[in-house]
Amino acid sequence: MMKENNIRNIIKNTIRNNIRHTIKDDNIKDDNIKIKICGLRRLEDAEIINKHHPDYVGFVFAESKRKVSFDEAKAIKNLLNTDISVVGVFVDPKIEDIFYLIKNGIIDIIQLHGNENEEFVAKIKEFDNNVKIIKSIEMRDSRNKNGGNNSVNKEENNKIDIKNTIKRWENSDVDYLLLDSGKGSGEVFDWSLIENIKKPFFLAGGINSENIKKATGLKPYAIDLSSGAEENGFKSSKKIAIIMDKLNEMKNMNNGRYGKYGGQYIPEILMSELITLEEQYNFYKNDFNFNEELQRLLNEYAGRPSLLYFAENMTKDLGGAKIYLKREDLNHTGSHKINNVLGQVLLAKKVGKTRVIAETGAGQHGVATATAAALLDMECEIFMGEEDVKRQALNVYRMELLGAKVNTVYSGTRTLKDAVNEAMREWTKRVSDTHFVFGSVMGPHPFPMIVRDFQSVISREIKEQLFEIESKLPTAVIACVGGGSNAIGSFYNFLNDDVRLIGCEAGGKGVDTEYHAASITKGEIGIFHGMKSYFCQGNYGQIAPVYSISAGLDYPGIGPEHAHLHDTKRAEYTPITDEEAIHAFEYLAEKEGIICAIESAHAIAQLIKTAKEMEKEDIIVVCLSGRGDKDVESIKNYKIAKTSKTSKIAKTVKIAKSEELNEGSDLIE
Amino acid sequence: MSKITEAFNNGKAFIGFLTAGDPSKEKTIEYILAMDNAGADIIEIGIPFSDPVAEGPVIQDANLRALSKGINTDDIFDLVEDVRKESSVPLVFLTYINPVFYYGYEKFFKKCKDVGINGIIIPDLPYEEKGEISEFAKNYDVDVISLIAPTSKDRIRMIAKDATGFIYLVSSMGVTGVRNEIKTDLKEIIGEIKSITDVPVAVGFGINTPEQSMKISKIADGVIVGSAIVKIIEKYGGNSKEYLEEYVSKMKDATKI
Repeated sequence: MMKENNIRNIIKNTIRNNIRHTIKDDNIKDDNIKIKICGLRRLEDAEIINKHHPDYVGFVFAESKRKVSFDEAKAIKNLLNTDISVVGVFVDPKIEDIFYLIKNGIIDIIQLHGNENEEFVAKIKEFDNNVKIIKSIEMRDSRNKNGGNNSVNKEENNKIDIKNTIKRWENSDVDYLLLDSGKGSGEVFDWSLIENIKKPFFLAGGINSENIKKATGLKPYAIDLSSGAEENGFKSSKKIAIIMDKLNEMKNMNNGRYGKYGGQYIPEILMSELITLEEQYNFYKNDFNFNEELQRLLNEYAGRPSLLYFAENMTKDLGGAKIYLKREDLNHTGSHKINNVLGQVLLAKKVGKTRVIAETGAGQHGVATATAAALLDMECEIFMGEEDVKRQALNVYRMELLGAKVNTVYSGTRTLKDAVNEAMREWTKRVSDTHFVFGSVMGPHPFPMIVRDFQSVISREIKEQLFEIESKLPTAVIACVGGGSNAIGSFYNFLNDDVRLIGCEAGGKGVDTEYHAASITKGEIGIFHGMKSYFCQGNYGQIAPVYSISAGLDYPGIGPEHAHLHDTKRAEYTPITDEEAIHAFEYLAEKEGIICAIESAHAIAQLIKTAKEMEKEDIIVVCLSGRGDKDVESIKNYKIAKTSKTSKIAKTVKIAKSEELNEGSDLIE
Repeated sequence: MSKITEAFNNGKAFIGFLTAGDPSKEKTIEYILAMDNAGADIIEIGIPFSDPVAEGPVIQDANLRALSKGINTDDIFDLVEDVRKESSVPLVFLTYINPVFYYGYEKFFKKCKDVGINGIIIPDLPYEEKGEISEFAKNYDVDVISLIAPTSKDRIRMIAKDATGFIYLVSSMGVTGVRNEIKTDLKEIIGEIKSITDVPVAVGFGINTPEQSMKISKIADGVIVGSAIVKIIEKYGGNSKEYLEEYVSKMKDATKI
C-alpha cells in the first residue's frame, strides 16, 4: 500500500513537472530570437559560454584582434556544449580552409565578410549541402563621413548600394544575412536601413544591454554580440548574463504574451503610452526607494501582511483537509484591490501623472482607487455603469467622499464591461497627465503583468506564513475569478510548486442557462479590451451580456494569464452558481463568524466540495478576497424573495425579489 | 497600385463612412450608392460591434441600432455583393478585431476578395499586432489601412514604412465624433509621413464642415467623415438619401477649392 502511494506520488509529481515545463517552453517559443556570441579566443570562454548557453558562437579566422588559429578554435570547440552551433568567420578565405574546418567538425556554419561571390557559395554547398552559410552585409552609412555639398547625394547613393547588395544576397543560396556596420567594427549602424529583409538575418554591430530591446524590435533571426559582451577586451560572464537576462525577460514577456494570450490590441493613440508605461514600470519595480515606499504603504496604511487564519471549525465540520483563510478582507478598504491600487497610483505619481481614472463594477476597485488618490493627492475619476451606480449607491457616495468624481456610464449594457469601455475612451482623450488604473489582470500589456506583480504579495505571504506554521506547502489554493486579480495573486508564487490551483468562476443561474459569467467554462477565445483571452461571446463575435449575483465577477472575460494556465492545465477553473455562493456565504458566517464578499463566497463554495475529498494531512488555503458588508442587503433580499416564492410574504418583498433577479435579465435583454 | 491608392489620383479624396445595417441592410446599399454618385472616392462600411471602444456616442449608437436589427457579418458580405453589381467605388471595412477573429481570418479575407472589399481598418489592431491578419489580407488583396495618431511620434516611421492603401491620420486625441476645431499640428506629421512613403494620407476624426474639408485638403491627400454622415442617417432614417447626396457633394466640392 505504502509503495503504491509512493509510486502514485512520483507519477503525480512527474506529471506536474511536465506541465510546468510546458508553461516555460511555451513562453519562450513565442519570440525565439537566437543569440550568437562572436569572437571566442580563450579556453575559459568555453566555460562562460556553456554557462549562458547562447545558440551560436563564432570564431574569427580573419585578421582581427579576436583572430584564432584552427587549433585554438578546435581546443575551445571541444569544451563547448555540443548543442551550441559554431560559426567560422572569414574574409575572402581559401576554400580549402573551409573544407578542412568542416571536415574536422570544428565549425558548423560559415560566415562570409569579404568579396565572396555566389560561385564560392555554390562550391561550399557542393562540398557539404548541410552546412549553413551566413553572408555579411556592410550597412555602413556615409552620413558622418561626408561633410561636403554632395553629402546628401552620397547618402542616397550609399542607401541604394546597400539595398542592391541586400537584394543580391536575398536572391542567393546563402541561408542567412548578417547586417553589420562594417567588418566587426562594434559600431551601431542606422537601423532604419533595415526594411523588409526577405531572408532571416543576424543583427550585429554595437549591440549591448542598453539597445538590445530596440534591436529585438527589428525582428532579427538572431542577435550577434561581440564587443557588447566583453570587458577589457575579453568575454565577460557578467555582461553576457545581463544581456541574456534582458532577453529572457523579453522572451517571457513578448508584448505581454502568456502562450498565445494577452497582447496589446488597443488603438494606436494609446500605444506610445503603453510602451512608456512598461519601461517606467520595469525601471521602478527594481528601484529600491519605490519598493521601500510601497512596502511602507502596504504595511502601515493597508495593514499588510494580511492574516492567515486557521479555520478550525470549518476544518472539523468538513472533516477533510486543514483549512486556512487568507484574510484580504481585512485590508484597508476591505479587499485585495488596495494592493494593486497603491502600487499603480504610486507609480503614476512617480512618473509625473497628476490624475488617475479607473473602471469599477461593484465599487470595490473604485473605492480603493479613490482612497489611494486621496492619500497620494491625485485627481481621480471613476467610471461606473448606470446599473451598478443604482445597485451600489453607498459605494458611489464613498468614492465621492474620498474626493473622486464618479461618471455614470449609460452606454451598452451599463455595467462593468461598459465602464471599462468608457474609461478607455476617456484615456484616449487625455493620456498625457492621466494614468488608467486597471483593476484586474486584464486589458492590454503591461497591465496584466503589473497588476499580477502587485497582487502576488498574497501568495508570497501565504507561502511564508504557512511555512512558519506548518513547515510545508498547501495542497491546494482556491480563489474566485472575475478578471482574476486576487486569483493570480494567490497562485503566482505557487506556479512552480506542486500545489493545486483552483479558480472559481461565476456560474450565475447555471452554466447551461444564459445567465452566467463563466468565461473559461463556457466562453470562447476572442480579442477584446486589449487582450486575447477567453470571452463570453454571442454570434459573430459580439461580446455577450453576462450575469452573476456578484457584481465583481460580472465580466465577460478573464485575464490572459489565467487563459494560459487553463490551457496548460496548470490551474483548474470551475463554475460556482449563485445558490452555491449564497450557501457558502452563510456557512462561513455561521461557522467562523466571518461575513465575506459574495465574490469570495464562490471560493468558499468550492472549498466545501474540495476539503471533503482530501485527507487530514492536506492543507487548503482560500483567498478571502473581500468583506461582505456591501452584499448583506442584497443577499437578505434574495433570501426573502426565495422564501416568498412558497410562503407568499408581503407584496413589497416581491418587488425586491424581482428587482434583484432582474439584474441579470436586464443585461441580456 | 492598389485600387484604394488609385482613388487618390482624382484630386483630393473624400472618404465617407456609414454603419452597415443602420437603419437597414437595404438602406445601407442605397446610401453607399448615393454617396458614390455624390462623389465619394472611397466608402468605409462599418461592421457593427457590441463594444466599439474607439467610437464616440454617435457611431456607438449606430452600432447598437444596427445590431438590434439583427445584422451580422454574413449579411454585410451579401450587402457588399449587391453594391458591387452597381458600383466599382473602392470599399473599405471598418470593424474591431473580434468579429474578424471570430469569423476566421482565412474565411473572412477570402470572402472580402470574393465580394469585392478592397481594404480594412481595425482600430484595435495596432502595428505590433498586425501579424494577426497581414498574411491573410495580403493573400486576398485586401489593404490593411494603418492608423497614425497625434501620439505616434517616433512610431510614425515604422508604421508608415509598412503602410498600404492609405494612411488614416487621426486628427485629434479621443474618439470619433464631430469637433469644432482640430488643434494637432497635422502639417508636421504629414510632412514626416511623406518623407517615408508615397502612400496617400487621409485625415479623419472630427471633420464635419465643408470649411474643415477644404482646410484639411490643402495639407492632406484626403478627408474622412464618419460621425457627421451617421448623424444624418440617425436623423432621417430611411429617408436620408437626398440629404446624404447633398452633404457628400458639398464636402467633396470643398476639397477642390
